[in-house]
Amino acid sequence: MIRGVFAWADALPSSVWLRESLNAFPILLTSHVLSMCLFAGLVMMMDFRLAGIGNRSTSITDAQERLFPYQLVGGIVSFVTGALLFYSKPLTYFSNFHFWLKMLLLLLAFANVAYFHFKTYATVDEWNHEPTPPSPVRMAGYVSIGLWSLIIIIGRMAAYPGLVPQWWTNLGLDG
Amino acid sequence: MEETAFSLQPFFLWMAELSFSQWVLGETWAQPIAQVMHLVALAVFAGAVLVVDFRLLGVGFVNTSLPKVADEAMPWMIGAFVALFITGMPSLMSLALKQYYSPFFWWKMELVLLGIILTFTFRRWLIKTDEAKVGPVWPRLAGILSISIWSGVAINARLIGLFS
Repeated sequence: MIRGVFAWADALPSSVWLRESLNAFPILLTSHVLSMCLFAGLVMMMDFRLAGIGNRSTSITDAQERLFPYQLVGGIVSFVTGALLFYSKPLTYFSNFHFWLKMLLLLLAFANVAYFHFKTYATVDEWNHEPTPPSPVRMAGYVSIGLWSLIIIIGRMAAYPGLVPQWWTNLGLDG
Repeated sequence: MEETAFSLQPFFLWMAELSFSQWVLGETWAQPIAQVMHLVALAVFAGAVLVVDFRLLGVGFVNTSLPKVADEAMPWMIGAFVALFITGMPSLMSLALKQYYSPFFWWKMELVLLGIILTFTFRRWLIKTDEAKVGPVWPRLAGILSISIWSGVAINARLIGLFS
């Protein structure tokens, strides 16, 4: 069923055009890396502040509010270019272990963001100016650093489809 | 690359033939591990450069003084740069001739040199000088130059792998 949807997308003329175009793939991949630098770089800077290991002179609300618009721009461009890279080779990504793992990690990262925003951040007034915030806040920072680093790592590993666990190969998703 | 009287080609050939380079080529995980670490270091480096460049542009951490923002970003910028250098070496050494003949590699290296010079001269001077005396034009120019140069480094780095 899912493979059928991927195969259908793979055969669409725009998908074929994307993967056969000489310039589209390099432009998309380069834009994806640049927007990743903007997004992940600034997310890391925010996380360093939460963990108490960087930008300690800036209040947490200030860091959050001042970086968020640029994180959003980087995130949107990264998402669009990533979606187009996926759309250029849907069937290839269907059988790619690292692609699915990256999607799972993205879900976990956004769950961490949501938990932090709705739960931990509610008491921000108490630790806004603390150079070293309380342990739940530092933990949220370290978890985010770990998750986004893993997302970058696994995203890059998608270029090595041979380096996957044997059980994944045994699934026979290559068709 | 066009051969001239002075050529670095023998040096690159020597690097490619080193036993470490051969080990990297023969070891399945060596290249991927170095490359993923290189990318994580790139993200940290980009963040540490951007917070200061944004501040120079008059956005970002405007409620914190420029020297404070720069001092706190500096260890991460230097640390990430060292990590980028270390994790970049396996690719450079094992694929030395590919890099040597790639115009993007030389563009990247020239831009890295330009970025280092800018960071430790003009940009550093602006950080250390009273903002009120300097005015907004020079810091903005430094911010735009820094972002452009380091973006150029990332673009050329990506293009080495795609077109060489």
